[in-house]
Amino acid sequence: MKVIIVGAGEVGFHIASHLARENKDVVVIDKDPAAIRRVSDNIDVQVVIGSGSSPVVLKQAGIKEAEILLAVTDSDDTNLGACLVANLISPSTKKLARIRHADYDEYHEAFREHAPHIDTLINPDVEVVKTIDMLMNVPGAVEVGEFADGRVIFVGIRLDKSARLVGVSLSEIFAKTGKQSPLIAAVVRDEELIIPRGNHKLEAEDLIYFISEKDKLRDSLSIFDKHVEPINRVLIVGGGGIGYRLAALLEKNYVNTKIIEKNPDRCIELAEKLNKAVVLHGDGSDQELLKVENIQDMDVVVTLTNDEETNIITSLLAKRMGAPKIITKISKFSYLPLMSMIGLEQVVSPRLSAINTILQHIRRGKVLSSRSIKDEQAEVMEAVALETSDIVGKPIKEISIPKGALITSIIRNNTVIIPTGSSVIEPNDRIIIFAKKQAIPEVEKILAVKLEFF
Amino acid sequence: MRWSFILNIIGMLILILGICMIFPLLFGFYYKDQSVLPLMKSMVITIASGTALIICFRGVKVPYISHREGMAIVAIGWTAIGFFGAFPFYLGPEVETFVDAFFESVSGFTTTGSSILTNIEAVSKGLLFWRSLIQWLGGMGIIVLSVAILPFLGVGGMQLYKAEVPSPLPDKLKPRIRDTAKVLWKVYALFSLLQVFFLLIGGMDFYDALCHAFTTMPTGGFSTKNASIAHYDSVYIDSVIIFFMLVAGINFSLHYQFLRGKPLAFWRDSECRFFIGTVILLIVIVTFNVYGSVYETIGRAFRYGAFQVVSIVTTTGYATADYELWPPMSQVILILCMFLGASAGSTGGGMKCLRVMLYLKYCYKELFLLIHPRAVKHIKIGGVSVPEDVVRSVLGFMGLYVGLFAFSTVLIAGMGVDFVTSLASVAATIGNIGPGLGMVGPVDNFAQIPYLGKWVLIWCMLLGRLEIYTIIILFVPEFWRK
Repeated sequence: MKVIIVGAGEVGFHIASHLARENKDVVVIDKDPAAIRRVSDNIDVQVVIGSGSSPVVLKQAGIKEAEILLAVTDSDDTNLGACLVANLISPSTKKLARIRHADYDEYHEAFREHAPHIDTLINPDVEVVKTIDMLMNVPGAVEVGEFADGRVIFVGIRLDKSARLVGVSLSEIFAKTGKQSPLIAAVVRDEELIIPRGNHKLEAEDLIYFISEKDKLRDSLSIFDKHVEPINRVLIVGGGGIGYRLAALLEKNYVNTKIIEKNPDRCIELAEKLNKAVVLHGDGSDQELLKVENIQDMDVVVTLTNDEETNIITSLLAKRMGAPKIITKISKFSYLPLMSMIGLEQVVSPRLSAINTILQHIRRGKVLSSRSIKDEQAEVMEAVALETSDIVGKPIKEISIPKGALITSIIRNNTVIIPTGSSVIEPNDRIIIFAKKQAIPEVEKILAVKLEFF
Repeated sequence: MRWSFILNIIGMLILILGICMIFPLLFGFYYKDQSVLPLMKSMVITIASGTALIICFRGVKVPYISHREGMAIVAIGWTAIGFFGAFPFYLGPEVETFVDAFFESVSGFTTTGSSILTNIEAVSKGLLFWRSLIQWLGGMGIIVLSVAILPFLGVGGMQLYKAEVPSPLPDKLKPRIRDTAKVLWKVYALFSLLQVFFLLIGGMDFYDALCHAFTTMPTGGFSTKNASIAHYDSVYIDSVIIFFMLVAGINFSLHYQFLRGKPLAFWRDSECRFFIGTVILLIVIVTFNVYGSVYETIGRAFRYGAFQVVSIVTTTGYATADYELWPPMSQVILILCMFLGASAGSTGGGMKCLRVMLYLKYCYKELFLLIHPRAVKHIKIGGVSVPEDVVRSVLGFMGLYVGLFAFSTVLIAGMGVDFVTSLASVAATIGNIGPGLGMVGPVDNFAQIPYLGKWVLIWCMLLGRLEIYTIIILFVPEFWRK
């Protein structure tokens, strides 16, 4: 399977390294020799220097044999151009484009049906707003992911010191709380990810990943002493593309929203577009302004400016002033591992969102979606159980599940089953598997999707 | 620098080498000659050493190899392989001292073709096959081979590949380095087979055809005959070998494109045009220079002139004539050919045409800028600008090449070797050609070079094969600092 990636920026780089690790043939195109050098020095892929929208360059990269073209440069025009040219030269290639501008929102369908026949348009801003929305609605969540069309939620939370479950082993949860515990897939302690057994004791500050049905999420969270409280007041710092989208979404949900923007012209524009949200002209890192706007009474503060450092500082400031929940936007990947060290747990990254979405779309065949967690230490995969595969037709305890992998749920005819040792997977069930990085190739094997996998 | 990891990989290289010793051993059994015992002993030593290294330093699988580690693996790996490759020579009766065995082995792996053997035809068939096989392994590169067959090298393979492949701009033919390495070896093996076939048609027996194909494609130049190719005295065999020497001197990525159905690939590549053009020009000059003075007919002048020019410029080093009897102009041209070398990405040595082209263009650019001080001018190869840092590294390479040539020549001359011999022996080894002039001319050999001089030349051969930087970096203190 050959994949051509146009754009060697952060998004292109990370998708390329992800795919190269899975032994796909990857060709990366970029105009900037320095970016290309970074790719060729670090990843086992082929590189071409040139414009991704040039037919000559695309041909040189072998577009005719490529199954997928990913246009993920920072420029919408280049991405569209690349897809257009690719469509002319090689109509059978599947095309995915990263398109950021809101003006294109209504045309996604049109681009699919007419030339350039882009199969999927990915808007990182939209993806990141989705993530923010999910994070807001799951209290204490550090990471949230949806599977099985939103019926199953995958949540990562950090256990508070005061929680009932501190010092309790997994098998005792029911006795302690009187409620059925959700399936705990993984625990991260001291940056190390482990798959816990029944006698594993939870400790304060553990990062716990669990899987729950959407309807039961509230119950599941209450076991960990996280209580869903309605979100009424939100403060957004930064009124760029993401800020505006988020504000518009919150407006629709009747949430009181305030939005702080530095650029006066942009403020006027925002005020025109938004009806109920309060648009404030000012600097998000201005302590006086935050005080005047009662930051401590906000349910959520979201920092979304285009400047990483401003976001970090504003979030820290808001935290110190007593804001209960803060979501910070970070684009630079190298900052991500540092955020929990400085106490900012809830972080969104448009690029990471875009990468996750693209990876989902790339995996056709029987793996429906996948999502990597905790610096790619593990992956959650949703797959269809094939009739011919080893996992079908016998109790789970008899399946040789690779070490470091866990079948977390089975979805059959719209019902979600949390499996036990005696559950049997039937053909065409959808299963959600949690797997550590080392176990992923083995998991692919037992799913017997290898032939279909790309 | 993760030494245990580096030594683990080197252990694997040694193990691969040990396994390769099975092939000459088969020939030894077939001909029932005296090479069987030494080869078996060497095989045991080599496999045991390789396995010991792998076991002692096992368990360190790392996902990447840093630039520095890549260089260390290649440089130390090549030295180690030269060392273990010397055992069959040393343990046999034909070679007496270890330095001679080491010289012969390194000369093989680096595809130089300089020999210390005085009577080649007296050497056992098994050992002679080993001598040819190590050239074949060294030509496309034992590291490239291991990248192709060891799956775990992955990303790190690129660092190793870059450190071994003789080119300032290594091509990646396939998205994955492993596939690139496989493709290169396949193309290489295909041409070698073709050559065996054509030599068989010319009446060579299978053993000689195989040995000569194994030393032509890597532009090595070890022959199984004392008189080299002159032994056969056949126009047909001369032309077959000329053709395959030229093939070996052209960038292998062009061969790959050609085989994929792009016949114009050779013409479109400016380095290839430069290489072929230069070869034709030099053949014409040498032919007219030796016509009349050495050979009576223009046909004979062309036949020997062409063979010798191609043999030296591709850095193969076969001989059909004693060019020491040629007029001085031809001799000087041949010496200059040693410096020019073949194309980048080929199996040939020397400075490489691409570098010389870049250097000439750089000189022109400097002159141009003297006339138009404000001009913005890029150095282009085939219509594409060459990045500044590549130009810089090429200039550095040329400087180091000439500098190390001068330095080594002084060392050799200091040992009492005459002027022409010291100059030519260093030029012939650093360029991986084989025979030089004077005491080491095409009808002589390197046996009379003093003991220490052989060590210097061994060093020169490694410098030339790994394109200076990879070896010389080991002598820079900064390299060893943490």
